[in-house]
Amino acid sequence: MIRKCLNALGTTALALAVGTAGAWAQSITIAIGSEPSTLDPQLRDDGGERQVNDNIYETLMARKADGALIPGLAAAAPERVSESAWEFVLREGIEFHNGEPFNADAVVASVERIIDPTNKSEQLAYLGTIVSAEKVDETTVRILTDGPDPILPSRMYWMKMIPPQHAQSGNLDEQPVGTGPYKFVDWQHGSEIRIEANEGYWGGAPEIDEVTYRFVTESGTRLSGLMSGEFDVITNLLPEYTSAVPKFAAVEGLETSVFILGADNALTSDPKVREALNLAIDRESMAKNLFGGYATVAKGQPVNPKAFGYNPDLQPYPYDPERAKALIAEAGATGKTLRVNGESGRWLKDREQIEAVAGYWAETGLEVDIVIEEFSQYLDSLMGDGPRPDSIFLANSNELLDADRESTFLLHMNGPAYSNSDTGLTEKLSKARTMIDEQERQALYHEVYEYVRGQNYLVPLFHLQDIYGLSERMEWTPRVDAKLLVSEMSVTE
Amino acid sequence: MGSYILGRLAQSGLVVLGVTTVVFIVTRVFGDPVSLMLPLSATAEQKAAFAHQIGLDQPLLAQFFAFAGDLVTLDFGESLWQRRPVIEVIADCLPNSLLLVSVALAAATLMAVLLGAIAALRPGGVIDKAISGIALLGLSMPQFWVGLLLILVMSVYLKLLPSSGMGSAAHLVLPAITLALTPLARQTMLLRSSMIDELNKQYVRTARAKGMPFARVLIVHALRNTWIPFLTLAGWEFILTLAGYSVVVETVFAWPGLGLTAIQAIQRGDLFLVQGVVFTIAVLIVTVNIVLDILFRAIDPRIGLN
Repeated sequence: MIRKCLNALGTTALALAVGTAGAWAQSITIAIGSEPSTLDPQLRDDGGERQVNDNIYETLMARKADGALIPGLAAAAPERVSESAWEFVLREGIEFHNGEPFNADAVVASVERIIDPTNKSEQLAYLGTIVSAEKVDETTVRILTDGPDPILPSRMYWMKMIPPQHAQSGNLDEQPVGTGPYKFVDWQHGSEIRIEANEGYWGGAPEIDEVTYRFVTESGTRLSGLMSGEFDVITNLLPEYTSAVPKFAAVEGLETSVFILGADNALTSDPKVREALNLAIDRESMAKNLFGGYATVAKGQPVNPKAFGYNPDLQPYPYDPERAKALIAEAGATGKTLRVNGESGRWLKDREQIEAVAGYWAETGLEVDIVIEEFSQYLDSLMGDGPRPDSIFLANSNELLDADRESTFLLHMNGPAYSNSDTGLTEKLSKARTMIDEQERQALYHEVYEYVRGQNYLVPLFHLQDIYGLSERMEWTPRVDAKLLVSEMSVTE
Repeated sequence: MGSYILGRLAQSGLVVLGVTTVVFIVTRVFGDPVSLMLPLSATAEQKAAFAHQIGLDQPLLAQFFAFAGDLVTLDFGESLWQRRPVIEVIADCLPNSLLLVSVALAAATLMAVLLGAIAALRPGGVIDKAISGIALLGLSMPQFWVGLLLILVMSVYLKLLPSSGMGSAAHLVLPAITLALTPLARQTMLLRSSMIDELNKQYVRTARAKGMPFARVLIVHALRNTWIPFLTLAGWEFILTLAGYSVVVETVFAWPGLGLTAIQAIQRGDLFLVQGVVFTIAVLIVTVNIVLDILFRAIDPRIGLN
């Protein structure tokens, strides 16, 4: 009798254990807009690849969801040991998914591979200053740059650490092996990629056990997949659909939309005309009507609010159509033609923004000529050697979260898209690139962008928000840096 | 027969070469693939290095000869987007497209024969009007709209079928229906009208008068005479579906086929993949035409092969 009872008890306990384990085995499906071109984490600058690999690989530095830079595989923030060398101390006892140890040799191998010119990594755009890496001891590494580089810690947030032996003899393109919270399972080209929880993850096993990525280019199809319950997370939800989905989450992302004005062009060289162009736009109304409120009006500067160097004290340009009209009249520009260059379909509501802004500009008395170009021709207008456009639209993305990105791209005279010949400004921006003292550097950027705001070289518009559609059971707060980190997600059921 | 086929093959080879040449020129003259492929922040040196790597810094004529030389061995180079040989990418996605297109067209053709024949039995009757009306509707609705509507009803509301992707037979249902609708409508209308023509002919009356059962008259005699225009249309539908409609339908349903690959290759400026896809489609089209010509001859020996 007693034995029988015990038996029954045992069976019940077993059933309970199995039952709970079953409830814990969570799997979710994420629909992303494009299939990765490769799963090698060091070669391409590819959003689809990052959306998967950010869960498999890790970097020396990481970011919190709000953008703050924190140590990742490094044990602490790096120290500057000389003018152009930073020293990282690594966390101990971490292994790659294939058992290779993560140590100074792995860091050196990762750095050497990505900067090797024969690999032609597209990520060098973020890592260009790095010249080499040196092992100091088993858990200490020095990264050397071609000069003083204050942004190096942010750069290391971009460089994924790879296992040296697998990189040599395995197939990184198809078989990613990292140190992260998820391990690669398989990739069916055209259909899906699967990853599973890494139970031995040094930061603790993640809550969701299995993730399937599906590649769905058509946004309407992503939306219906979410509505039908096939997907748990979808990317790039349009603002107008937020009311239709079970759940959604929005966060201010990395992109800022802006017009670059041709400060040397006949019409836009007149500071009054440039000022008028900034005053003529009702940005608040655009944010509300175009983006349903899911965009933030930029505060007189193109710099991402989470970036180092952002000046929180600057004010947005006011909407003053009367003053704009008066300035255009004063400049004798009434009736003159302003060319507005742009593209369509690359960034959220790009054409709509261009047309709305051009509409406001037309109200000042200027003739506005909108030129929407095919993307590669647009790139030539933006960065080519030809004459600078009067005004050209762009949504600029700041992956390093440092004001250097916007400054170099939009204003610096060695940069790709500058439209001014202000050598004083370029000098200051060059100085800011290499200044090591953080406070001085920050003060310099603040000064620069106050000056740029006064000169009206740019027409900053909005910080765009990333909107994700979620299924009823998903719990997730999206990140500023647009990373889809599954370890930060959870499922309620 | 043998010399006829050889002649057609030579002719088709010229067609394929012509199409491929046009694509070769168009992809290089319009737009700059280098800046399309690289991130916005790429430097001038990176661009130059990339152009050199993929051979775009060579004169156009030299590029063309290199391209034509590789074409002979079916070597289209490496896809810039997927970083693997173009032929591998096509080998992955072409079977998916062929599966979808053949299921859709087989269903459409069978249904069209059935519906067309029924409608022709009593022209102007209620059934004929209903079938013609539905066919007209099928012709008028754009496919992306039908696709989204089907997803909305069958996946979102009824939760019966998956909305996108490939995997089980259930995944095939919605894209196949969407793809089948237009060919079904056109084929039904064609079969109906040629059937009505046949049924009004003298030989049908004679056959009925001598007491032959109507079903036999219909199936054995009348239907056979509608085959040639019907097959011509079916071949045409196959080409249209594979090279045209599938781009839309595969995009809507995220079906990993040739159409979806084509549109993504174009968007990403992957000129090598675009060339490969166009070449593949051109080859398929001329093949279908040759097969049809031979079939016609088999059906109706009066058709000469010249």
